[in-house]
Amino acid sequence: MKSTRTAWLFMMPTLVILVFIGLVPFIYVLYIGFFDWNLFSKIRGMSWAGLNNYRKLVFDSDFNASLGRGALFTVLTVSIEMVLGILLANLLMMKIKGIKFFRAIHSLPLTVAPIAIGAAWRLMTLPGLGPVPYYLQKIGFDFNIGRYAQQAFFTTVIMDIWHWTPFITLAFLAGLSSLPKSPFESAMVDGANRWQIQLHITLPLLKPVILTVLFLRIMDALRIVDEVWMLTGGGPGTATRYIGIHIWRVVFPKTDYGYGSAMSVIVLYFTIVLTWLLITSVSQSRKEVAK
Amino acid sequence: MKKLLLWIVVLMLTVSVVATFSLVGCKAVPEAVEAEKPVVEEAPAEEEEVAGSWWAQAAAPYKDVTIKGISESTPPSKYMQEVLAKSFMEETGINVEFEVTSWDEMYDKEIKDMEVGTGIYDFVYIEQDIIFSYLHNEYLLDMTNFMNENPELVFDDLDMDDFTSFINDFKDDEGHVYGLPFEAFLKICLYRKDLFENKEIQDAFKGEYGWDLRPAVTFDEYGQIAKFFTEWGKDNDMELWGTTVQAASHPSSFYEIFETILPPAGVYNWGINMENWKATSADGGAMDSDKAKEALAFWVSMLDYAPPEATSSTWDEVAASFAAGRAAQGWVYGENAAWIATNAEKSVVVGNVGVARPPLMEGVLEEAEAGEGYIGYYDGGALGIPHCSKNPEAAMLFIQWVCRKDFQGEFAKAGSRIVRTSTFDDPIVLAMDKEVDGYYSMFKNEGYLYKGAPPFPFHATIREVIYTYTIQAITGEMTASEALDAAAKATNEELVKLGYGK
Repeated sequence: MKSTRTAWLFMMPTLVILVFIGLVPFIYVLYIGFFDWNLFSKIRGMSWAGLNNYRKLVFDSDFNASLGRGALFTVLTVSIEMVLGILLANLLMMKIKGIKFFRAIHSLPLTVAPIAIGAAWRLMTLPGLGPVPYYLQKIGFDFNIGRYAQQAFFTTVIMDIWHWTPFITLAFLAGLSSLPKSPFESAMVDGANRWQIQLHITLPLLKPVILTVLFLRIMDALRIVDEVWMLTGGGPGTATRYIGIHIWRVVFPKTDYGYGSAMSVIVLYFTIVLTWLLITSVSQSRKEVAK
Repeated sequence: MKKLLLWIVVLMLTVSVVATFSLVGCKAVPEAVEAEKPVVEEAPAEEEEVAGSWWAQAAAPYKDVTIKGISESTPPSKYMQEVLAKSFMEETGINVEFEVTSWDEMYDKEIKDMEVGTGIYDFVYIEQDIIFSYLHNEYLLDMTNFMNENPELVFDDLDMDDFTSFINDFKDDEGHVYGLPFEAFLKICLYRKDLFENKEIQDAFKGEYGWDLRPAVTFDEYGQIAKFFTEWGKDNDMELWGTTVQAASHPSSFYEIFETILPPAGVYNWGINMENWKATSADGGAMDSDKAKEALAFWVSMLDYAPPEATSSTWDEVAASFAAGRAAQGWVYGENAAWIATNAEKSVVVGNVGVARPPLMEGVLEEAEAGEGYIGYYDGGALGIPHCSKNPEAAMLFIQWVCRKDFQGEFAKAGSRIVRTSTFDDPIVLAMDKEVDGYYSMFKNEGYLYKGAPPFPFHATIREVIYTYTIQAITGEMTASEALDAAAKATNEELVKLGYGK
């Protein structure tokens, strides 16, 4: 009992900080979501709106489109990153000369701040000035992320894959390194080929790692803002206005605090549900592995 | 153990709720902040004689005080930061921390500061179009009252009557001033004189279109010139296009459409009927009128004749594209005219810049001359003092320093801006006028044909509503007609939500 109390005492500073930077803002946002509050409204201050902001969200085509766009972005980036991550992790497990150097190089994007990544990609892809459109034009491809919606969307997907695949690779590398050797040895004795070992032993054993990485990446991809903001500003048109950017525009430039807060709460709700599903899956798979 | 855990959770929730609702109540009351006195570390003894100019004497009680201000990164603001702030510090001993940043960031920072009443900034940039929102929210100090209450801080030669009529935009209904203008300019058309006056080009143009090449007077002419030069550039292997277009997915594209393209088409005040606050034609608005749709379609079509960077260009990039010689003509904010025409370090078209009125649709010039409309945007800004400023006295001195008559000539040369009537006759400006193809004369003589943004307190909110649709016209997700129909409908709804109209 005494050791538990000591543990709580040690945790108190962290808990207090979490309360102030996590719980307090959350309750504040929840509270504001029930009001109409726009700085430039004729009536100054907040006026009670009840659940009206939430009701409007259901019919808000811009909000729903941003949510859908963000979901598509998440599905594309995370699935490609997962496949590439597993392939690269397997490659990096091989004993090849210079592999350590490649591992270090490959992890570099992770060390760069997202806003800097967005800026670097913007410089590379800026229509009329960047090297990417310049060389693509040489081979007859008109690349302009300021004008063509699909090109901008897929450029943000590629940028995210470039940025985050190393994270997944490193996670899988750690997972692969910690796998027990005996199941693999038994499989080899039984005559299993490489593909069978990969499919029936490696992947099932890696399931907790896969689910954890999947969970982290989905959360990150859903709330992406800074890289995309720097690269395209959410455009052209609304092509890359993912939900984070949409909420930012509603809350800050538009100063519609009440409605923007309601949006944030709904997105948080979706995220929590998704997280809960994934955490349940992770716990389930851990139990299975333990058996 | 469970009990302890329960108590901790209950305690945390209670703290959160109390803290949350305390924050709600913490919103600063401007009047309370206004009462605060400036922080002066050490005032000189009364007997101590303060030597030096009027400025040094007036600033003596605030010596070593640091005032902080924020402005948009524009040529006039950079001149203030690099030249005027330094000379002010040397003269007065008051330190000036002047943050010059992007347009978006500037508004984000200063609005938050003034809304919450933090008091970070002692003076702020107030663009002409946002002043109505600031006045509505009572963010700013009443300078008229402040000067009356502190006559010792008012420079003898401030000469309020010398300011151009632009200062009226920064007054309330009672005529009290809330900001002293430091920049004002017109959104004009620049064109390449070397290209327009080239005999070979003139002949080729006349052969193709049947009229003599000159700056466009109508939208049709502008389009023909844009098409001609784009093809000329292609045929002659030049990095040259027919026009600039400010078409980034950024509010700047909204401003180009609603302040530069629609007024010359006869659509004023964003197409919002200011009597019933409606934007739809059916309700007396004009945002979705045929004229507005035609003008927007014309502007979108110009993207075919603009450099590839046009769809990533805000006001800064448009000026940079023109200065880099990539466009034969373009709509450019006048604050850039001087450096584009004269600064060889930044511009490759020095000596070749022509200045013209924007192209107009039929009847618009007559309406503007009769005072019933306007042909383009009269832009600019002022420096004001937030209510929550901790050093309003020192800030007031700095703002007057920026507005000093004897500085205005050099300031106009650096930023092609004029806020005082006397500046038009300054020898520096008169000399500069020739180098910038008569821009300053045009400003003086035709300024009345242009107008600032409409007096909308809801400026930023409605801009965001409209721009969501107009940027979709740029990518082709919507036609110009669909975009304006949707924008007008959404504007009506949002205005009702904001308390304007029914």
